[in-house]
Amino acid sequence: MTPFSLKIVTPDGLKYDGQVQELVVRSTTGDLGIMAGHINCVAPLGMGQAMLLIDGNKRYAACIGGMISVLDGKVTLVPTTFEWADEIDVDRSERSEERARAVLADKASNTTDIRLAEARLKRALVRQGVAERK
Amino acid sequence: MAGVSTKEIKNRIRSMESTKQITKAMEMVAASKLRHAQARVLNSRPYFESLYNVISDIVSANSEFSSPYLIPRAVKKSVYVVIAGDRGLAGGYNSNVLKLAVAEMKDKDVTVLPIGKKAVDYFRAHKVPMLTEQYGAAAEMNVGDCFGVAKQLCRMYLSGQVDEIHIGYTNFVSVLSQTPAVMQMLPLVAHPRAKEERQTDIMYEPGSEEVFAAIIPEYVGGILYGALCESRAAEQAARRTAMDAATQNADEMIADLSLKFNQARQAAITQEITEIVAGS
Repeated sequence: MTPFSLKIVTPDGLKYDGQVQELVVRSTTGDLGIMAGHINCVAPLGMGQAMLLIDGNKRYAACIGGMISVLDGKVTLVPTTFEWADEIDVDRSERSEERARAVLADKASNTTDIRLAEARLKRALVRQGVAERK
Repeated sequence: MAGVSTKEIKNRIRSMESTKQITKAMEMVAASKLRHAQARVLNSRPYFESLYNVISDIVSANSEFSSPYLIPRAVKKSVYVVIAGDRGLAGGYNSNVLKLAVAEMKDKDVTVLPIGKKAVDYFRAHKVPMLTEQYGAAAEMNVGDCFGVAKQLCRMYLSGQVDEIHIGYTNFVSVLSQTPAVMQMLPLVAHPRAKEERQTDIMYEPGSEEVFAAIIPEYVGGILYGALCESRAAEQAARRTAMDAATQNADEMIADLSLKFNQARQAAITQEITEIVAGS
């Protein structure tokens, strides 16, 4: 497959800069697959797993928030957080899941807390799902 | 008389030495904090550059639709986000950025969102209306806070409560040089590159309006976080330089005072000898 150049930059630094054959990310409306020669496109990212096909090997990562842009064949992924499967701190994410579930189970929680807890729970589940794939 | 003055000089030397110890310690603390802050700035810079480039590419490529984020309105109300430090003793760091921000705000109906204790104190003292005082600790603000602020600002902008949003911060140019700057965040300003018309069309998924609605708060949050990182590094760099200068000044003064002390001591001894010789 024809490779294309991909750059992944997050507030914590450059995560990837090089050639990939295929990229699949979760946008706000569902999974978005990108291959070489893709039309120029911009989409906001949701919370989910990202898959990169590098030299025939699949690499997985948890990719949350931000956006993806394809302009003139150059793909730039600008997520808020991006963690490779082997970088994910599973313990931390499990603790985060527990906290979130506790808030959701508590009937006294207010709407803002519930919304935050839902987002946290979702992030934790995405991270755990990705961590299993390393 | 000579005796009194040697004692005085001795006291001054002693106090100068303890001051020097403090400035020296502060310099070393600032230097170590600077290393962390500098690493973070260098790490995060590509992110802001990409974010900025992508957004300005979209803005310049986009001809067919008009998002409220793109259209400048008649400016009635402005918001200035001003990032300063939490502590003083950092040379001109705080006053430079505050001075620049105030100069930019002149003749405008401004609400300020100060970040950092010094900024909060300054605008409170000058009775400038503030959006919130809750970000009185620049050092404790994290990415999440930045995105929270960005969402709030975007909501205010969309609802028409404010017509433009600027940010005042300090650019970390190098360890020796920091320059304060004010940048317009909203409405988006077309990049200089935008002049050349881009021929290609861009597909927006799911739709251009939704994309903009989702991306702009991210963009504002990212810029905010970037400015915060830059400012923090600049603060530590400014403090390090200022404390280094203070330590050097203390050294100079101690050398000067030691000379005076020795002169006074010698004068006293000479006088005593003269008195003894004269008396015998």
